[in-house]
Amino acid sequence: MAQRNGWLRGTIIRKSGASTGGSTRTGTPSQVQSTSATIYGGGVKDPSGRTSEYFSMDDQCPVCKSDRYLNPKLRLLVSACYHKMCESCIDRLFTLGPAPCPICNKILRKLAFTPQTFEDLTVEKEVAVRRRIAKEFNKRREDFADLRSYNDYLEWVEEITFNLINDIDVAETEARIQQYRVENAALIELNIKREEEYQRYLQEQEEAERQERELRAQELRRLEEEERDEREKAKQGIIDRLETSDKDAARLVAKSRAEAQKRASARAASSSSFSQSSARLLRSRAAQSTVVPDVPHIPLQDDYYGYGDMFVQRDTYYDPVSEAVRKDREGIMRAGGYMIDQAWERALRFAVAGLEIAPPTGVSRQEGMAVGGKGPADVVMATA
Amino acid sequence: MSAIREVKFLRELKHQNVIELLDVFSSKTNLNLVLEFLDTDLELVIKDRSLVFLPADIKSWMAMTFRGLEFCHRNFILHRDLKPNNLLIASDGQLKIADFGLARDFADPGYKMTCQVITRWYRPPELLWGCRYYSTAVDIWSVGCIFAELMLRTPYLPGETDMDQLKTIFRALGTPTEEDWPGHTKLHDYVPVGQFPKTPLRELFTAASADCLNLLSKCLIYDPKRRIGAKDALNHPYFFALPYPSHPSKLPKPAKKETGPPLEEVDGNVEMVGSGPAVRANPPNKLKRRRSSEDFGNRPVARRLDFSK
Repeated sequence: MAQRNGWLRGTIIRKSGASTGGSTRTGTPSQVQSTSATIYGGGVKDPSGRTSEYFSMDDQCPVCKSDRYLNPKLRLLVSACYHKMCESCIDRLFTLGPAPCPICNKILRKLAFTPQTFEDLTVEKEVAVRRRIAKEFNKRREDFADLRSYNDYLEWVEEITFNLINDIDVAETEARIQQYRVENAALIELNIKREEEYQRYLQEQEEAERQERELRAQELRRLEEEERDEREKAKQGIIDRLETSDKDAARLVAKSRAEAQKRASARAASSSSFSQSSARLLRSRAAQSTVVPDVPHIPLQDDYYGYGDMFVQRDTYYDPVSEAVRKDREGIMRAGGYMIDQAWERALRFAVAGLEIAPPTGVSRQEGMAVGGKGPADVVMATA
Repeated sequence: MSAIREVKFLRELKHQNVIELLDVFSSKTNLNLVLEFLDTDLELVIKDRSLVFLPADIKSWMAMTFRGLEFCHRNFILHRDLKPNNLLIASDGQLKIADFGLARDFADPGYKMTCQVITRWYRPPELLWGCRYYSTAVDIWSVGCIFAELMLRTPYLPGETDMDQLKTIFRALGTPTEEDWPGHTKLHDYVPVGQFPKTPLRELFTAASADCLNLLSKCLIYDPKRRIGAKDALNHPYFFALPYPSHPSKLPKPAKKETGPPLEEVDGNVEMVGSGPAVRANPPNKLKRRRSSEDFGNRPVARRLDFSK
């Protein structure tokens, strides 16, 4: 309730830019005052307070024809049938109970009037309808076996929404909504809970992040202080030593400088490891909440070297072994997709692959083959 | 035989998208392979109906598959049994190609290779027609089928027999003409399998992006010579387009861990029976092997196999 009140008091009132009269009459009330401000709900609720009630210099109550010139405190509210009326008319007409709308004769109640947020009342209506639909039609992608049925569902919801907005088959649409509500009561409830949980989770995450920032700032402050102390101490130390020792002054200073340097670098290393660990923490949490970014595709992810720069493959070779394949009178190999180039490429690559490796010394040839994997064994293969 | 093959190739392959062979040891008549322990495989992920795949997830899996495959092909090794069941997924989400029981090195001119490889649903038409000289393109076809399966959440080309498999393929992609695939009528076991019209992929994959279908169609080109290579596939615009591939740690995983039968001794020779083990839809010793590696994963092993003899 408190939130709603805050909204209705509407501390920020944005003037409608389109109004022509506004510029001439600047002495208008900066705040909408209303005795019945607490009664009316609805409109767009925005806890951040950035949206405000719609209000224009040209406002005129369609019922009593009173306008802002006559009544600077004029406040128009919207009925359930989306007609505007000023507060005094509402009080006059509906205080004694439900009564017909003076414009369309639909029976209205006082409490069903809502403040206006958008200039265009059709937008107002659409927003209200959509908010109502979204509350109950809250199925998620996970609730469907495949994308297709999810899309169908969305399509169906959109159709219902459209019908409500444009007043097409309202009775039938309401019946459909009612049926859906009955059928999916459990799921709706579950999804509402899920949504709440997600909100809570977001809040928690924000809180954790804030704490971490604080911690890091503290750590930094502490480090700085330590450093300052140390520097002071070192300075004092040099003076003391210069006083007491009879060694060369320049050498003593150089020595303590070097020590200070060492300490500083050690500190830098430890602090960098601190920041690294926090980075890792962040990452692991990111993994938990499954927001690892998807990286663009990299075709090959290993550093493969195919000795491509060490040989040039020609189009054809004198190769009696593959004669039959190349001639291929019946087209068997042609149709099967056998490619003699690959055989040649393999032979060539294996032949050059071993060139850089010195033959193993002190082992027999057999052992060399087994251990090497690539290397001499492949050369043997290629030449065989 | 298949265990020997597996050892032979896995010892040489070390890549983040290929399963790592930690150790090999033999006890009496059995040869035991100690493999990296991986939680789950892509088949379980696809079958888990509670998971929702984003386009970015599929892209990420495909990128990892192609990366692993490119590494194999670069080292002149054909996997010859790619399917979701053989694409294992580590706890950090990395996809790893496993089961090199049917792998072989390629590109020896003049050697015939067997065409009874690759699980039927993922077998390319040239192998179904008994081609004995093939190359890297066979693996790409399998990857294309996996790609489609990821989008459909059900096997793309499930044929019941080898003949039916051809029919299934042609029903989906149209019967190839001599222009599509020069020379295919001269293949060893060529039999005409009726005429089916070509239907655009768009009709089945309604939600896929244009890039995505372009890559898929390039993986499923009939002419093996024109089928895209693993490296070219990795450079395909599909992978560079938004959304970026999901980070492996974000990929969906089946929630509950299956509790399988108690640990069995792994017999590496079990696959020797029959001529084409991969013809079966599910090579049975796959799961066993995975569990055994779970047992041995973090334990010092009994004895190292001496390869220098």
